Amino acid sequence: MKLYEYVLRRLALLVFVLLALAALIFYITRGLLPPAYALTQYVTPRMTSAERLILAQNLGVATSSCPSYAAFATSAKGCIVPLWGQFFGWLKTVLSGNWGYTVLPGYVAGTETTWNVFWVRFPYTAELAIGGTILTIAIAIPLGIVSATHANKAPDHASRVVAISGYSIPQFWFGYILQVVFVLYVALNGRGLLPVGGPLPTSCAICFANPGSVVTRTGFPVIDAILSGNFPYFWDSIVGLILPTVTLALTTIGALTRILRSSMVDALHQDYILLARSKGLRDRVVVYRHALRNALLPAITIAGLILAFLLGGVVVIEYVFDFPGVGQAAVLASTSFDLNFLELYVLVTAVIIVLTNLVVDVLYAKLDPRIRY
Amino acid sequence: MESKAGAEEAPKSGAMADLRYSLHLMSRNKLVLAGSVLAAGTILVALLAHVIVPASATVDDRAIRICWNNSLINWHIPSINVCPRPLPLGTDAYGRNLLLMIILAVPLDLSIALEIVASAVVIGLVFGSIAGYAGGIVDEAILRVTDIFFAVPGILLAIVLMTVLGRTIPNLTLAVLITWWPLYVRLIRSQVLSEKERPYVEALRAMGAGRFRILFRHVVPNSIYPLIVQSTLDIGSVILTVSTLVFLGFAPSNIATGQTPELGSLTSQGSQYIFSAPWLIIFPGLTILIISLGFNLLGDGLRDVFDPRLRR
Repeated sequence: MKLYEYVLRRLALLVFVLLALAALIFYITRGLLPPAYALTQYVTPRMTSAERLILAQNLGVATSSCPSYAAFATSAKGCIVPLWGQFFGWLKTVLSGNWGYTVLPGYVAGTETTWNVFWVRFPYTAELAIGGTILTIAIAIPLGIVSATHANKAPDHASRVVAISGYSIPQFWFGYILQVVFVLYVALNGRGLLPVGGPLPTSCAICFANPGSVVTRTGFPVIDAILSGNFPYFWDSIVGLILPTVTLALTTIGALTRILRSSMVDALHQDYILLARSKGLRDRVVVYRHALRNALLPAITIAGLILAFLLGGVVVIEYVFDFPGVGQAAVLASTSFDLNFLELYVLVTAVIIVLTNLVVDVLYAKLDPRIRY
Repeated sequence: MESKAGAEEAPKSGAMADLRYSLHLMSRNKLVLAGSVLAAGTILVALLAHVIVPASATVDDRAIRICWNNSLINWHIPSINVCPRPLPLGTDAYGRNLLLMIILAVPLDLSIALEIVASAVVIGLVFGSIAGYAGGIVDEAILRVTDIFFAVPGILLAIVLMTVLGRTIPNLTLAVLITWWPLYVRLIRSQVLSEKERPYVEALRAMGAGRFRILFRHVVPNSIYPLIVQSTLDIGSVILTVSTLVFLGFAPSNIATGQTPELGSLTSQGSQYIFSAPWLIIFPGLTILIISLGFNLLGDGLRDVFDPRLRR
């Protein structure tokens, strides 16, 4: 099979997985609840019942022969479209970008769409996840190399304990511990050293007192600050990311370290390493140019898994650090029953994860000449 | 694994020797030893919790809420409440002995985690071995279903499920289980796949053994070591996930408020007093860390002990 055939096959599979996931999420959020719930986020307070019936028919929940809204609301016979039919109605609605109005606290009912709320918050979460990825790679790769080159010696045992602790620590707890330490005990000029709440706090010693504001172009605070040339704002939004990112990356640092260590140990036992050493190559060249390059390949296959962990981890991190991203809103959406927000969150996350997996697999085939599809 | 395959037909002493050799390897590994002690301690505390803690300990005493009286730790917080009598870890927001509340919380968390891991193992054994052994379209179908669950962060799916189903403990167990079982299907499937190509399977087939007999009497038992490792590691991870969900409020109100102690909710209960009474957060969370660390160390060490490449 050629590479492009493989990519096409994978794309077909990708569409299938996303559709199946959409069906699963639809079943959970619509199928398990009475049909009237499907309307909650589309009605505005002033709608008459005749308008509500038309709405229900447009959304594909009520049949066109349904006589009145009252009949629909009581699930009268012949008024409700069968579930599989509702699924296609729902799919049509949401794929056209109509995710209804948000019912999250802080918004007047029927004024702000779920779609807008999600995409205003999403850049904050993306910055956290990207920061988490960078931190994971920056710490796990050196740690994995050291463990493998000193396998079963003191540095290996130490890094193993660090890695295992990393994925044994409750993130919500560690987030609070960092806050206690940096606010209560490590103080500068009587104020905490690092900001603890939100991406742009003003109550910290090394932050600027008033970073001013920036023009929102991309929605990403860090990028907008650069585009506006506002250095204090840039600095504050970077510093505001430090504690949440460290907390977020703990689990994935541990996981990647362990995986890199084992693939690196395997690589170091290969014949080509023996050959490289017997040629008299320096240790550094053997480790970095020969062993690491081969050991990194198995490690990048878990990129999708790491991303899934980071994108799920933000829920609790944003809650603990009062960070205005989508994860924090997911907890609010659950209490205020904003099901459309949760659906959108799940599906956007899934798209990111399956696309990452696809890119990783194609990259893997490109980088490793032994693999042919 | 080679030795285990032989042990199937070998006299009992062979299996015993194998077990003794495993125990010998375990006792030599310090991390496994530490993990075993922590895990065994957790199980012991969970079993004895209701014996150690008197029923009267759960009664509120608003007069002494959030106080500290343990001279070993000085918090350096100016306006701290001092308890009338010495208490190892102070009192919680209901005025109860925090140490006893943590002990009471352990059996709840551990039993939920064990239920989830045990159910996931059973589901994984059934579907994973069928997928691996049958192959073809059955394998493909089962794999594609697991793909769906790997495309979404588990905690997010659990939150959606609990939003719709309601915040109860059985629903919490179900929600986490639904996100966890695909991992075991994949694990067992790959084990069965590599195991079924081995010569002894061919020998059994030549002897006329039935498919199900070969699968469940021979192939699955020989694939058991990675399963033991993974489920030990997962007890730690599941306790983290469950306590995180409870911390976020996904539990019945008596548990979410910390009235009925659970490690995640004890932490969330303390989060309001983070700068005035940090012990409310530090100790319940530390307990989760210790329990999770115990099972993770044990699982990680068992992987080395059971690794056939390191065994000989």
